[in-house]
Amino acid sequence: MSGVFTKSMARNVFYGGSVFFFLLFLGLTFDTVRALPKRDMRHNITPLVAEGKKVWETRNCIGCHTLLGEGAYFAPELGNVVARYGEEGVKAFITSRPAEGIPGRRSMPQFNLTERELEAITAFLKHVGTIDTAKWPPNIQG
Amino acid sequence: MSRSHSSSSAAALPLPAALQGDIAVWIFLLAELLAFGVFFLAYAFARARNPALFDAAQAGLDRQSGLINTLLLVSSSALVAHAVAVVRRGGSDAARRAAGALLGAIACALGFIVVKGSEYAAHFAAGMELSSSTFSMFYLCLTGFHFFHVVLGLAVLAVLWRQTVAGVYRLGDVNGLESGAAYWHMVDLVWLVLFPLVYLMH
Amino acid sequence: MQYASQAVAKPYFVAAIGLFVGQIIFGLIMGLQYVIGDFLFPAIPFNVARMVHTNLLIVWLLFGFMGAAYYLVPEESETELWSPKLAIVLFWVFLAAGVLTVIGYLAVPYATLAKLTGNDLLETMGREFLEQPLPTKLGIVVVALAFLFNITMTVLKGRKTVISSVLLLGLWGLAIFFLFAFYNPVNVVLDKMFWWYVVHLWVEGVWELILGAMLAFVLIKITGVDREVIEKWLYVIITLTLVTGLLGTGHHYFWIGTPEYWQWIGSVFSALEPIPFFALTVFAFNMVNRRRREHPNKAATLWALGTGVMSFLGAGVWGFLHTLAPVNYYTHGSQITAAHGHMAFYGAYVMVNLTMISYAMPLLRGRQANSEKSQVLEMWSFWLMTVSMVFITLFLTAAGILQIWLQRIASDPQPFMVVQDQVALFYWMREWSGVIFLAGLLAYLASFFVGGKPAEARAS
Repeated sequence: MSGVFTKSMARNVFYGGSVFFFLLFLGLTFDTVRALPKRDMRHNITPLVAEGKKVWETRNCIGCHTLLGEGAYFAPELGNVVARYGEEGVKAFITSRPAEGIPGRRSMPQFNLTERELEAITAFLKHVGTIDTAKWPPNIQG
Repeated sequence: MSRSHSSSSAAALPLPAALQGDIAVWIFLLAELLAFGVFFLAYAFARARNPALFDAAQAGLDRQSGLINTLLLVSSSALVAHAVAVVRRGGSDAARRAAGALLGAIACALGFIVVKGSEYAAHFAAGMELSSSTFSMFYLCLTGFHFFHVVLGLAVLAVLWRQTVAGVYRLGDVNGLESGAAYWHMVDLVWLVLFPLVYLMH
Repeated sequence: MQYASQAVAKPYFVAAIGLFVGQIIFGLIMGLQYVIGDFLFPAIPFNVARMVHTNLLIVWLLFGFMGAAYYLVPEESETELWSPKLAIVLFWVFLAAGVLTVIGYLAVPYATLAKLTGNDLLETMGREFLEQPLPTKLGIVVVALAFLFNITMTVLKGRKTVISSVLLLGLWGLAIFFLFAFYNPVNVVLDKMFWWYVVHLWVEGVWELILGAMLAFVLIKITGVDREVIEKWLYVIITLTLVTGLLGTGHHYFWIGTPEYWQWIGSVFSALEPIPFFALTVFAFNMVNRRRREHPNKAATLWALGTGVMSFLGAGVWGFLHTLAPVNYYTHGSQITAAHGHMAFYGAYVMVNLTMISYAMPLLRGRQANSEKSQVLEMWSFWLMTVSMVFITLFLTAAGILQIWLQRIASDPQPFMVVQDQVALFYWMREWSGVIFLAGLLAYLASFFVGGKPAEARAS
């Protein structure tokens, strides 16, 4: 091919290419949203689980922890924490955090959660642990 | 792809224009080929890990349709190449003849879309989805991605036809036509790899 | 400065730098908390320091983008800004909102902040980078829309160039995708899926358009290369960006509950995402090599070239290292992610903003370029910040590799906290690198106050 690749050709390729891939992305998003119910265990999202998500968000747990690998890297992955410590273990850990922290160690705040909030956050984390994440994380340590 | 100038048979190649246009076109086409190439590699890798699944699923593909589509695309490319050659040679009826060839190419492209579309209709009716199996994922992604390129190519061919009829490509100013033709040839080339890889090889 | 209304950019740039300093201070606090775990606990727990650090980053980058837009759009459009007054009003609104938000994070527990600011009405708080209270989020939308209105009206009444059009497209995209911050479904998978519409489609999507436009503008001014050439390259780069980045979103859909075909699609397309950054680097060096003038602002030229290189390394190369699904399976949510994130953000968005400020501030202050002494100090700050960032990234990468080995690959995987103790050395080295980074930033600040005769274009 001879001649010059002009600016207007580049512009046309930009329009064509962007629209093309945007439509593809849209199509794949539709397919994904359609396919999600088989993987996200949404039928198990009880009001308690929903409350638990609110506890998760209003205490900004993601500011220290990861959930399904996303978040902060200061504290452990919590997507599989119920499998790791059990429901009672999780509740016990949260309630036992010293308000002044542990000298020299990374410290978790004492949130003074109510019994209901503890049940909720545990139910939430337990639910997240059932989502089909293509076998991630590699092991129980997260 | 020859860089010789259209109007003369001189041996000297033109110096690259200061705007380095060709590099940009190559970046695009290379990026396209790279994307498809990586997909092909991924397909080969996935197939090597599960030959039984892939062979069985491949048997469910309609080779006749695939063959027809191959012939349609190759003919289409030939017609486009013919149109470019006609315009380069020039002459009083060059535009008319080139436009005719381009119309033929467009008809072939439409044929491909119809044939592939009916193949997809049959697959979806039988319940095939992206998530059905690794093969279905690759099959739908690879052929679907290519299909989108054909649809885009159809739009490109339509624009080329319009411009040719309007007499835009003459007096050596064939860069737009040649670029559009290069894109279409790339789409054809990808199919020529895809068809044997997905439909035939086992 | 060709148009009087370009002057509104100055407060935006000043605020940007000020918030940048705040961001780094909190970064150093976090870095220290990594190794002295209860540093400032319980007054400033890690997550609070983190939300201040990340939110300050985003807000200062936005101030930078807005300042850049107010500077370059009048010049590109060859007309005064539609409403300089509106720009100043929005400046104070945005600054106040930002400062109040940060004070809110620091002053009260997050759950209290949520109650006080109406989170119960519409629950949008508590997600990474989107920790802002509802009023702040709404304020951001209002400020963004008013800003876009101002800039768009300016372009519409003047000359429309590729640079201003691409910038507008990027900025409008930024605003539109931010709306997804208000969509927070109970379903965790849907939540995460659409959260990435804000984050990925920002930094690996429309923000790259903004970056490209800003860099193209500065390169035209500094090198004098023909606009046709630069604008054509800009189209090429943004095409490559969207073509790879849209489906590249899939590299965030590997392990969050979405279908497994994303492992293939996301891997293939995100593997190609370094290409636009590579093109950007080649473009920047090419233009500078083919320059038709010797612009006296050497510092801005250095920042422009550095942006290409560091964004390619940080976003492109480090991104590539962990983007393929089989690799990402082990690196997901590790210090590798942090390493990539820091160098990518610095190389692409911090540096392009500093490039723009480096170019525009002298002009806003009445000269083509700062004095030789000032530029030398600025260039020192470039090297200090850039090299220390490389070291931060290298140390975090080392920490990440060791973390992944001990926690996810070794035959006897160890718990998270046990592993963190074992990589502590790398965190200390990261922190020291961070101190050097701050030194570089302070040198940068100082360069604004170094006087002397402004450098002039040499007659060549």
